[in-house]
Amino acid sequence: MTGYVQFVDTAKSFGPVDVVGRTSLGLDRNSLVVFLGPSGCGKTTLMRMVGGLDEPSSGSILLGGEKVVRPDRRRGMVFQSYSSFPWLTVKNNIAFGMRYRKDLGATERAERISHYLKLFGLADFADSYPNRISGGMRQRVAIARTLAAGSDVLLMDEPFGALDALTRERLQVELRQIQTREEKTIIFVTHDVEEAVFLADRIILFSRRPASIVADIDVATELGSDRPLEIRETQKFFELRNKVLHLIRNETGLVV
Amino acid sequence: MFSSLFVFRGRASPMLEFAVSVAAAVLVIALWELAARAGIIAPQFLPSPSRVVIALWTMLTEQNLAWHVAVSTTRVWIAFLLAAVMAIPIGIMMSSYRIVGAALEPMIDFIRYLPVPALVPLSIIWFGVGEETKIFLLWLGTFFQLVLLVADDMRRVPQEFVEVARTVGANSRQVMIDIALRWMGPTLLDNLRITLGWCWTYLIIAEIVAADSGIGYVIWTARRFVKTPEVMAGVVVIGLIGLVTDQLLRLLHRRLFRYL
Repeated sequence: MTGYVQFVDTAKSFGPVDVVGRTSLGLDRNSLVVFLGPSGCGKTTLMRMVGGLDEPSSGSILLGGEKVVRPDRRRGMVFQSYSSFPWLTVKNNIAFGMRYRKDLGATERAERISHYLKLFGLADFADSYPNRISGGMRQRVAIARTLAAGSDVLLMDEPFGALDALTRERLQVELRQIQTREEKTIIFVTHDVEEAVFLADRIILFSRRPASIVADIDVATELGSDRPLEIRETQKFFELRNKVLHLIRNETGLVV
Repeated sequence: MFSSLFVFRGRASPMLEFAVSVAAAVLVIALWELAARAGIIAPQFLPSPSRVVIALWTMLTEQNLAWHVAVSTTRVWIAFLLAAVMAIPIGIMMSSYRIVGAALEPMIDFIRYLPVPALVPLSIIWFGVGEETKIFLLWLGTFFQLVLLVADDMRRVPQEFVEVARTVGANSRQVMIDIALRWMGPTLLDNLRITLGWCWTYLIIAEIVAADSGIGYVIWTARRFVKTPEVMAGVVVIGLIGLVTDQLLRLLHRRLFRYL
């Protein structure tokens, strides 16, 4: 078992309910891995354990060979809702990522803020509060905050689930670009097959609860790492999507 | 033109809304005045609004009403601030630490349902008939309600916010100050505004206990001599104070929480 993020016989139960079965898995650094599976299957719990927000009942999780025991800013969370703080402006939401860092000076902070404001096209909204910007913008703010914190692992829990289809597509494209440019490791949880295939370097498909790995699909080899929007209309994309859909239907007996 | 006013959940211009509010109030007062003048109801039961206004004027100019109002307001605010200063930290602790909640919640829930008037005799035994009793009774009516509201607000802080803060390196204390308290701000101020209102409703109960000052005392004394216009004037004064305080606190809310 190798990898930057390693699950070593990781299992989790809440009381009598087994949520995650014994799982061993290694994820490469600077790759975008999608956890795909039916709703409530335990994929989110698995991801939360990487963040240190839930503790494995048995086994462990290693990050760069070091055991994960508690949350810290090397692993940032992006949620579907409540992703940005309503009482902080866009700029201050991004700055919040660095709030508890003592190693950054004022100029460096300001530079990072303006860097991420620009990168996410948020410069014009720097002083707006989240209730004045769109849902897509709010998710951009959340991602920017996590990057500003200096996380090198992003844990994303259905972050685009509440967005309309067009905004969602745009953010998927942006996320791919940013992942490549900023060289981040991303674990992205979703139950949307299209989204999974479009985003992923690798898809880990999970069974119903308790979650166990039913398939490990190498998407990067099939589709390459450059993902323009048009790739969705190619034969390759189509075939891959159908393959994943069939796998889900056969292996889990469920349509997600 | 009028049909547009009766669209289900339709809209009205602010000007129109204001005009309707004023007109409705004027209409009620006018009907009341007419009913009283026509002698339909005996004046010692329902004096006309004009007589209430005259009574109010006499009370202000000859009977030191302003001083009584000041005394009552001071009592209410002392009791209210005391309740708030105690309820906010205790409520927060109750939701943040399970053992504090387990220890206090059943007790507070029990006391909350005790009617304040039922505790008047006990209060007199404990504190005599001075200021302490009045403050205690007002506090009693406020603290136990507020502490549970604060505890509820604290519980409702979204877990996502707490976890985002923890993953950017916040410790427990920083989560409390930078997330929980910031998030609670607007609802906390709302709850304070509401409980302040309740505090005023207990004023009469607190001030009929051997008081010689305060609006409650004024009302109660007027009642003994069946000076109904003065009783009504006293009630109106409480209503006006409530209205003004409420509007001021709403204004503060808008100023403090512009992001809402």
